[in-house]
Amino acid sequence: MGAKEIQPETNQDLELMQGISQGDRWAFACFYDQYSKLLFAVAYRILNDQKEAEDVLQEVFLQIWDKAGSYNPALGKPVSWAVTLTRNKAIDYIRAHQRRTKLLEHAATEMLANAPGGTANSTMHGRQNEELINSAVAELPGEQRLAIEMAFFSGFTQNEISETLKEPLGTIKARIRRGMLKLRERLEGCV
Amino acid sequence: MINEHLEELASLHVLGLLTPPEEKAFAATLARDPELQALVTNLLTARDALAGTVPAATPSPQVKQRIMAELDSRAKKTASRPVVKSAWSFPTFWLPWAMATAAVVVCVNQTLDKYDLRAMVERQNTRIAELDQLADELRGATNQLSQTVASLQSATKLADVRIALLSSLLSDDPKAVAVSLWDNQQQSGVFVVQNLKPLPADRDYQLWVIDPKYKIPVSAGVFQVDPSGNVRLHFKTDKAIVTADKFAVTLEPKGGLPVPTLKNLVLLGG
Repeated sequence: MGAKEIQPETNQDLELMQGISQGDRWAFACFYDQYSKLLFAVAYRILNDQKEAEDVLQEVFLQIWDKAGSYNPALGKPVSWAVTLTRNKAIDYIRAHQRRTKLLEHAATEMLANAPGGTANSTMHGRQNEELINSAVAELPGEQRLAIEMAFFSGFTQNEISETLKEPLGTIKARIRRGMLKLRERLEGCV
Repeated sequence: MINEHLEELASLHVLGLLTPPEEKAFAATLARDPELQALVTNLLTARDALAGTVPAATPSPQVKQRIMAELDSRAKKTASRPVVKSAWSFPTFWLPWAMATAAVVVCVNQTLDKYDLRAMVERQNTRIAELDQLADELRGATNQLSQTVASLQSATKLADVRIALLSSLLSDDPKAVAVSLWDNQQQSGVFVVQNLKPLPADRDYQLWVIDPKYKIPVSAGVFQVDPSGNVRLHFKTDKAIVTADKFAVTLEPKGGLPVPTLKNLVLLGG
C-alpha cells in the first residue's frame, strides 16, 4: 500500500509545526487559528461544558508549544497529533473529575446526530467536502459506528464497550477494524 | 505485508483503545514498518474526519489571549529556549568556506522568506477582515434569534415545551427523521416521524424519554408507521418526567420491552 500524496495544507502545517518547535509565535498563532475550532468542538463534544472545553483547549495548545519538537511526521499529520492530544486530555479530564456517570450518559448520544448548523468538518475541509465526509461517516453500519464513537468520544476501554453492548470482545475489535477501514476507504480522495 | 491483526491493532491505536503494554509493543512495530505508518496515517485522517462530524463550536476569543499571555509570561522567565550544541566538529581549514557558504544561504533564504512572509501576512489580514465581518453578521443574527425566542417564550410558554430533533442511526435508512415535542407541565407529547421503514407485524418501534432522574430510559409507548414511513402520535410516559433530556426510538418485539435494546437504536436526539 502506498502512502497518500501529501496535500498542500499538510505541507503548510508541517512548516507551521517546524516553526512552533523553533519558538515561532506567529506560526503558533496560525496553527491556533486554523485548528482551534475543530479541537474545541471535539473537546466540547466529549465534555459538554464550554468552560472545561476551553480549559482543555488551552492546555492542548500549550502542550503543542512545548512538544512540537517531538512531533513525528511519520506517525500522522500535525492535525491528527493535535486531535489525539485533545481527545486524550478531555478524557483524562473526565476521569480526573470522576465524571464517569456523565461519560456513560453520553455513550448513546455520541452516535452523531446530523446536527443542524454545520459540523466542525466545515472549518477543516470546507462546506463542499463537509457533506461528503459527513455522509461517509453516516453510511457506516450503526453497530460499527457506535463502537468507534464509544471509544473515541467517551473513552470507553475495549472491555467496557464489550460489556456495555453485551458482545464478545473479539466481535467489538472486529467491528472497530472493519468500521475504520471502511471509513478510510470511503474518505479516500475526499480528505 | 499488513495482516488483519495489525489492521486491528492500528484501528485500536488511532482510537486510543490499546492498553499501555499493547501501545508500547505497537509503537515499536510501527517505528520500523513504513507500510504500517502509512496505514496509521490514513486511519488517523479517517478518525479526524469522524471527529470533525461533531457540531461546530467556537471557543471564546479570551482562550487565545490567555494562551498568548502564558507564552509571554514564560518568555519573561526564560530569555530563550536552550540551544542544542552541535556534536559536529569541522576541520579548521574548512571553517571560513563553510561560514561564507552559510552566509550566502542565509541571505538567499531570508530574501525568499521575506516575500513568503509578506504574502502570508497579507492573506492573514484579508482573512481576519473577512472573519470580523462574518462575526458581526453572526452577532446580529444571534441577537435577532435571541429576541425571537424570548418573545416566543413569553407569548406561548415555550419554556415548558421541549423540542427535539431525532436523527437516523440506520445506515440503510439514513433519511428517517423525527421531531418530538414534550410539554412538561401537561406530561404529554407529540411525536412526528418521517421516512422510517415500515415493520413486519411481529415488531414495534418503541419511543423512550431519557430523563437523568431515572437510570433506565422511560418508555413512552410503541408505534408503527404507515406504508410511507410516516406517523404522528400523541404520547404519555410510564413515569413522571422531570427533565426530558433526550428522546430515542428502538426496534423491539411486538408490544415493546421495559428496557430498551441499545443495539437496536433507530433514532436519537435531544
